[in-house]
Amino acid sequence: MTGIHADIDALKGLHDALARYRHAQRDVTARGEDQLTATRASLEAKASRLRAQLELGQAEYTACQDRAAQADPDDPVDCSGYARAVQQNSERLEQIRLWQQRIDAEAGEFSGIAGRFADLLDNDLPRMQEHLVAIIASLEAARRVRAPAS
Amino acid sequence: MISRPEQDGDRQLRLLGDAWDKAAEHWRDGPARQFGTAQLTPLLQESRSYLEALRKLMDLLETAERETEG
Repeated sequence: MTGIHADIDALKGLHDALARYRHAQRDVTARGEDQLTATRASLEAKASRLRAQLELGQAEYTACQDRAAQADPDDPVDCSGYARAVQQNSERLEQIRLWQQRIDAEAGEFSGIAGRFADLLDNDLPRMQEHLVAIIASLEAARRVRAPAS
Repeated sequence: MISRPEQDGDRQLRLLGDAWDKAAEHWRDGPARQFGTAQLTPLLQESRSYLEALRKLMDLLETAERETEG
């Protein structure tokens, strides 16, 4: 008896595998989108913190320069530490801005591919499953017709 | 450790490929070939393209996080 309905069983197995595939890959696409959103939020939070630090650092640097302008020439005020901090924060902020731009560009390209894949999962794959169901039904009907004569 | 999404996607792709191989052992008529050529193969190819693009994007996001730490 083994193998008489093996093709039908195999098709049913493939049908179920397609259903699982669709569900699992939709989860994959959602996680990918979530990761993109999380990274964008993380970069924006870093940029926001740095902007606040930069603003504070610039105020401290300006205050130091004011003190330096009024200081006794024999006892100068050194503002180089403030200048360095402002410079470093400016550079880090610029680095984050560049990463944000790059991610936006790559995400734009990715969205085209992701859109096609989502369409495939939402439209093509269900049609494949329907096609398999029809083939399975047709095979089962043919077996039922043939069974009494065998 | 949480796996990256495209790694899970790759695993699902392999599972679907295995399911097709298993089905193809028993289903070898014309409609089977037609199904494989016209429907399953494009699905697998499009899936690979998507997962490769997702892998590159996830790499980029990881690098961006790492490079902007501190």
